[in-house]
Amino acid sequence: MSDSHFGKLTDRMNSFRDQLLDTVPQIDVDRAMITTKVYQEQQDQPLAIKRAIMLKEILEQMPIFIEPETVIAGNQASKNRSAPIFPEYAMDWVIDELDQFENRDGDVFTITEENKEKLRSIYPFWKHNTLQDRGLAAFPPHSKLFYDLGIIKSEGNITSGDAHCAVNYEGLLKLGLKDYARRAQEKLDSLDLTDYRNIHKSYFYRAILIVVDAVKEFAGRYAALARQQATRCSQKGDERRAFELCGMAEALDHVPYEPARTLREAVQSVWLIHLTLQLESNGHSLSYGRMDQYLWPYYEDDLKTGRITSDEADELMCNLWLKTFTVNKVRPWSHTQFSAGSPLYQNVTVGGQKLVDGEARDATNPMSWLILKSVAQCHLTQPNLTVRYHENLPDDFMNECIEVVRCGFGMPAFNDDEVIIPSFIEKGVARDDAYNYSAIGCVETAVPGKWGYRCTGMSFLNFPKALLIAMNNGVDPQSGTKLVEGTGHFKDFTSFDQVMNCWDKVVREMCRQCVIIDATCDMVLEQDTADILCSCLTDDCIDRGLNMKEGGAVYDFISDLQVGIANLADSLAAMKKVVFEEKKVTPEELWDAMQANWQGEKNQHIRELMKAAPKYGNDNDYVDSLIRQAYDIYIDEMKKYHNTRYGRGPIGGIYYAGTSSISANVPQGAGTLATPDGRAAGEPLAEGCSPSHSADQHGPTAVFKSVSKLSTDDITGGVLLNQKVTPQVLSKMENRQKLALLTRAFFDKLHGYHVQYNVVSRDTLLDAQVHPEKHRDLIVRVAGYSAFFVVLFKATQDDIIERTEQAL
Amino acid sequence: MMIYHVPKHRSKEAMLESAIVFNVQKFSLNDGPGIRTVVFLKGCPLRCGWCSNPESQRKTSEIEWDERSCDGCAASDGLASKVGFIKTGSRRGPDVIRLQIGDPRVDAALRDCPGLSVVGINRTTDDVLVECLQDEPFYEEGGGGVTLSGGEPLVWGHFCVELLDKLKARGIDTSMETTGHVPEKTFRAAIEHLDHIFMDLKQYDTRLHKRGTGVGNELILKNMAYAVSTGKDLLIRTPVIPGFNDSLADARGMARKLREIGVNKVQLLPFHNFGESKYELLGRDDYAFKGVPNTHPEDIEDFRQVYLDEGVDAFL
Repeated sequence: MSDSHFGKLTDRMNSFRDQLLDTVPQIDVDRAMITTKVYQEQQDQPLAIKRAIMLKEILEQMPIFIEPETVIAGNQASKNRSAPIFPEYAMDWVIDELDQFENRDGDVFTITEENKEKLRSIYPFWKHNTLQDRGLAAFPPHSKLFYDLGIIKSEGNITSGDAHCAVNYEGLLKLGLKDYARRAQEKLDSLDLTDYRNIHKSYFYRAILIVVDAVKEFAGRYAALARQQATRCSQKGDERRAFELCGMAEALDHVPYEPARTLREAVQSVWLIHLTLQLESNGHSLSYGRMDQYLWPYYEDDLKTGRITSDEADELMCNLWLKTFTVNKVRPWSHTQFSAGSPLYQNVTVGGQKLVDGEARDATNPMSWLILKSVAQCHLTQPNLTVRYHENLPDDFMNECIEVVRCGFGMPAFNDDEVIIPSFIEKGVARDDAYNYSAIGCVETAVPGKWGYRCTGMSFLNFPKALLIAMNNGVDPQSGTKLVEGTGHFKDFTSFDQVMNCWDKVVREMCRQCVIIDATCDMVLEQDTADILCSCLTDDCIDRGLNMKEGGAVYDFISDLQVGIANLADSLAAMKKVVFEEKKVTPEELWDAMQANWQGEKNQHIRELMKAAPKYGNDNDYVDSLIRQAYDIYIDEMKKYHNTRYGRGPIGGIYYAGTSSISANVPQGAGTLATPDGRAAGEPLAEGCSPSHSADQHGPTAVFKSVSKLSTDDITGGVLLNQKVTPQVLSKMENRQKLALLTRAFFDKLHGYHVQYNVVSRDTLLDAQVHPEKHRDLIVRVAGYSAFFVVLFKATQDDIIERTEQAL
Repeated sequence: MMIYHVPKHRSKEAMLESAIVFNVQKFSLNDGPGIRTVVFLKGCPLRCGWCSNPESQRKTSEIEWDERSCDGCAASDGLASKVGFIKTGSRRGPDVIRLQIGDPRVDAALRDCPGLSVVGINRTTDDVLVECLQDEPFYEEGGGGVTLSGGEPLVWGHFCVELLDKLKARGIDTSMETTGHVPEKTFRAAIEHLDHIFMDLKQYDTRLHKRGTGVGNELILKNMAYAVSTGKDLLIRTPVIPGFNDSLADARGMARKLREIGVNKVQLLPFHNFGESKYELLGRDDYAFKGVPNTHPEDIEDFRQVYLDEGVDAFL
């Protein structure tokens, strides 16, 4: 599995990996039962205290184990890959789907009858008593229409927690949790409780003291278990493992409460906190931040003193990634079918720059290399690996990144320092902090340990659907519901300017509705959930006495997410060209053809004409300038609004644009009628800022050019670009260098924000043989000759497929 | 031999050279250093039986018909009724000689049938230049630039010189893949504007060369020697073609010929049949290597060794 460039996993890690891949995940009810009991018994407690006690009880009572293969301890559920239930967020869907978990088409979870009964037994308590229930009740009626009709999606945000952040791991390792408790205690002691606001703060401080103690005891449970196992190993004569377990126990005696002293302690500390955060809340995209930066001092010291070899450190890191992969999340089926593989977006960021005496310097170090290597060796969907690119990123490191790309699992993603850092500074982020940003989840970015939750915001706006509503005089064409005041119907339009006018009017209103929905979710989350540990480890929550949701973070900028950028671009271009310039189709004919979902010979012909119009992703100014213009209207409107933390402490408190909508393009496409770009009803929308599927016919440079024409500086929430490459591009060293050159040029010259490369797999090539219509743009490259794969003869295709195997 | 009508490819207003361009391929690999755009010009004086780019051979625009994309008119009958030029029943595709782009019936068929497409359109140097400059941001790092290829680009000698001149004026790296079978004057004029040159030595024996490609190799060798004398970055390549030049004696002969003109390095390109399907798209049935299996690198190891023994660094 692992590419020979990076070497193999050690035997025991390989065995651990195999076991994890073979595991059929289960539904785990322990957390649900403990939480329910705490919520019942502590109903009278202030929210912060209740949440702290909940976490304490979970950490005290949940089953723990240490796998024989592992050198770090900590499990999220009673079995690896099992998914806990978080009843306080949403419970209706859990009960509705109890009998379906095992019968899903994908992402199957097994559950015992006994556990089903347990969940049913707690359901009455949670009925009308979850975050989701309160969220649905809280939406202002008109805004709820947008939510109900799927125009603005934010379901994931009232059925689960926030997360989408990286806590201050650097501080944790240097100071230990005890220092956070000390600071909370000092603050608590100095509060003037005659001010009611300070009474509120006192709950937060008391809650921190509870969770710090709880985490310390949690580590203690693992230390005791490790000692038990050590004794057993010793009895069996396995002195080596016994010694190892004793070492683990000593580490667990110490961290995360105390500062870490060695790399092993540092990794153990980070893992236990990362894990506990996943038990505190079920929000995903909990990220590790700039791990190469905060782990390197420990690794360096261990290497110097001979405490660890580079091979041992490699195994340790692989162990961390395999542990990272054990974390799982079960989502409602309505979500799952569009995000198969239960992604958790646990990001780890390496590379980038650091400031030395105020000067920017390359920050790569041996830990950056080790993280690349170990993630490649594990070859799994988690963690999500990001490399911070900058102009002086060393060539050999860049080449190593390309080697990871070549492994064919879509990693690493590249984010560009040269765009993100200035953009942060411009928005008020201190220079030191801006240089310390990391990726969160997928493409979005924040300053680890200093940023509020969910830098992606709450709501996904479906741009193509918004366009259809705009063209339909403000009425949703699917439901017939009047949503906004329009500017007339497209059928009566006589110029393209009218299209842009209707878009301008409607998208501004949609943007406003996004903010209302976002703010409602935020408000309900603030009232209903409080993540004490997460806030404790985020600056300056303790100083301010506020949790993250209340405005405790140093920075709090969020983007909402815009979906279907390329479809909007292609739709506008097709209407402008075919309808208003060439006048081959009248507005009425086009509208009727779309309503008929292109059925019928005449409509099919209209569809072909619309499809043949210029498409985004081909470096064609005709279409690229239209999407810039259309998107800028939204960006301009978004700048007017504030999030719920505005004026409460954080720098920022505002919104900006973002496109890191990873999988939302599929479900949002499923609920969108035919669009003027020739897309049929129900088909997925384009993802992120990538061109529509098969629309880019001029290779990666043209795609990069088109993407770079967007207002990247204002889309601080992330400009997501997935670029497909064939394994053949990567088969020769000379060509791998070209991929590195291409990436450098995209960032250095075109100031791109993000790119990741998907190596087209052998499976894709096989699929292209069966479904050539889906792979029209698949280009295979061989010496002195390039061709579209689908036009080649079967035997030729087979030959290429054969070679593809060799190349990888 | 067919006679083609070659229009004057010179626009009167701007006085720009123009040529029939059948593809501009961006981010093209294997065609020189760095990230390159390759401009493919249509027309070639050679007729190599193994040619994998048959659409590059004729100097005029052609029409391709891909039956698989031709959903509305899957049978040749349907196509025939649309175009009116098809030899019905033969399923051989459009009759290239009589199909004239610009004929309203042809244009209508092109618009209606997704299986029909035009290969090669007349473009001016400025038009092509603009497209090449789109990728300028990618050229600088790694010494990338523009490569002219074909067919034989120097069939359009004036066009090439004018385009290369404009590219050099903007400091863009230039490269060309040429057969060398062009008048010396044209060859020399072009070379002046080139940073890298790619040429083929397909056969050392001119009689065999003529049998396989339709022309002898004297002019090619003369131009190659001149290219060597300029000291420009020159890469000689040899497509290793079964039954044409793949014997060990061929290898020895070619290696010695190369040494004679001062070349000590050659890239060997194993035979592949990836162009076969294109003949059918063009309605042609004259692919000479039907059913001949692809050659893989390991198959020509002995062949390569002969070069090495002769002191020529042959690589794949």
